[in-house]
Amino acid sequence: MNRALPEMLQSSDMTVLERQRARLKWQAEQFQQQNYFSELSGVFSSQTGHVQGFQQGCLMSRGGARGDSVLSDMAMTRQLKHEPGLETAWQGLGKVDMEFAPCGYGSGPSFDMNHAISRTSSCPPAVAAAAAVGSKAVKGNSLKMGSTVGRVSFKKRKVEKSQNTEVVAEDESKRIKASEEERESKITGSSTHRNSTDKKENSGDTSKLDYIHVRARRGQATDSHSLAERVRREKISERMKYLQDLVPGCNKITGKAGMLDEIINYVQSLQRQVEFLSMKLATVNPSLDFNIENLYVKEVLPSCTTNFPPVGMAPEMENHSPYLQFNPIQQVVSGCGMEMGTNSCDMALRRTISAPVSIPEASFLDTSCFTDMQQIQPSAAWDVELQNLYNVEFPGSIEASGLKMEMEMEM
Amino acid sequence: MPLSSLKPKMRPHSSLKQEFLKKWIMGLQRCSFSKKNMSILERKKAIKFSADIAMASARNGTTCWSRSLISNASKEGSDIHVVEQILGSESDRPAVENKVPTRRASVCKKIVKRSCRIRRRRRRRKCVASAPSSIAKHLVRKRREVLKSLIPGGEFMNEICLIEETLDYITSLRVQVDVMRSLASASVRASE
Repeated sequence: MNRALPEMLQSSDMTVLERQRARLKWQAEQFQQQNYFSELSGVFSSQTGHVQGFQQGCLMSRGGARGDSVLSDMAMTRQLKHEPGLETAWQGLGKVDMEFAPCGYGSGPSFDMNHAISRTSSCPPAVAAAAAVGSKAVKGNSLKMGSTVGRVSFKKRKVEKSQNTEVVAEDESKRIKASEEERESKITGSSTHRNSTDKKENSGDTSKLDYIHVRARRGQATDSHSLAERVRREKISERMKYLQDLVPGCNKITGKAGMLDEIINYVQSLQRQVEFLSMKLATVNPSLDFNIENLYVKEVLPSCTTNFPPVGMAPEMENHSPYLQFNPIQQVVSGCGMEMGTNSCDMALRRTISAPVSIPEASFLDTSCFTDMQQIQPSAAWDVELQNLYNVEFPGSIEASGLKMEMEMEM
Repeated sequence: MPLSSLKPKMRPHSSLKQEFLKKWIMGLQRCSFSKKNMSILERKKAIKFSADIAMASARNGTTCWSRSLISNASKEGSDIHVVEQILGSESDRPAVENKVPTRRASVCKKIVKRSCRIRRRRRRRKCVASAPSSIAKHLVRKRREVLKSLIPGGEFMNEICLIEETLDYITSLRVQVDVMRSLASASVRASE
């Protein structure tokens, strides 16, 4: 699909950029100076699983999700592409290739680590030239998700310029597009005409700059569009990861469709909660005057005693006992005004996420429709958010601990 | 919108809540001032409406969904005074106006995309997907469309923006739910 390239260019991914930089620094630190060219020839002549192993080692593969691997790969390639200023980093990256290959990392495609992904790295012509190293090794092969995700995702990468042919020859499923002569000329030439633009369309230009070679899957286009698409996919998967942290219960789901499902359910449930709560507020208040005393009461830090009577009331409390300790803390911490005291009984019972309705107001509703939507899960997301809140509002912590202890005693 | 700016927003919940509550109460006061003796449904609508606008204005025009929400609300003339009240300063207006050209542009883009897609689909009719990847794509596409319908202004976003907006929208909804719930229970308790 053709995305407008300017769109992509304008979207600034600071986090990605930072990550790229961090990664490059890490890589640069890890690997020391070497003689590129000698290594290059040596390396590439003997590459088989080395490259693939390199792939794995280099890419910090995370949990096996396709998105992760894609992301990490992409991050690497993106380093190459985006930053003309990453010249040294690029060289560092080049070193990585040299280093790893001789290490004999992998032994063939049988890693159950994360998929060996074949990539042809892309980089802006300038960087490629600057490196003057055939550094971007050809990445191995078709990736396969080993055990974790059973989805095959073929990635294309642009080979910078390197003697990919030997390596590629080992590759089963990829076809190199790069032309060797150009590569060699580049290596020998070591010209550093920097192309200041890091546009992706230039990367597709294999015409005269020819520093970038796209390796694509069989039958796929090998132009800037595919590259752009790959970048886009990376971005999407990165954002999906953020969503995974946000939406409870998404940690176990790895597929995009499943996650979108969860997200949709969550958004719908939140919207329904809003509707329901607004209805409730409408019934509670005959006129729309939410008196300030209410607000004032909430603003003030309440005494702990107000928590207990409601707490004792509800039988459902037992279900939530593991969370009870957290919830008061969270409420105290985050409330400072909002959910303190008077309301903490409600909040204490359930996290907002898990159940929309508070128990004492059971008369009001039909909450079953909500409760089955959200399972109460000890998801890590809660703890993380809790930690965040806790860190943010430190003064509240003292009350929190006091409250917690009292709650536990009560239980 | 850079993602790094999204993460910090999730943290200072309480400030966001305060702001939301303030604006919401302001809008509600305006509503109740204009109409007396509203029916329950009207009240509910007013409550929800002002809550939505307050939530959207809390973003100050930084997110697409908030702008779209506000512009939608501004369109129907009846409650525009509420919108004005909540939005308050003039600073939010330019954000609202900017929405329109983007919409037009994105609509055009959408049309082009759709035509390309249709063309491609016609071409691929024969080799229609029994391939698992295309089935997966189909599923994802369906869900993406559903998500677009959920997020205000979502139809005009590309996929990346959609997910970012979803992130922001989810946090805002959470804040909204938290505040509303606390207000509701406080009101109930106060009335007892």
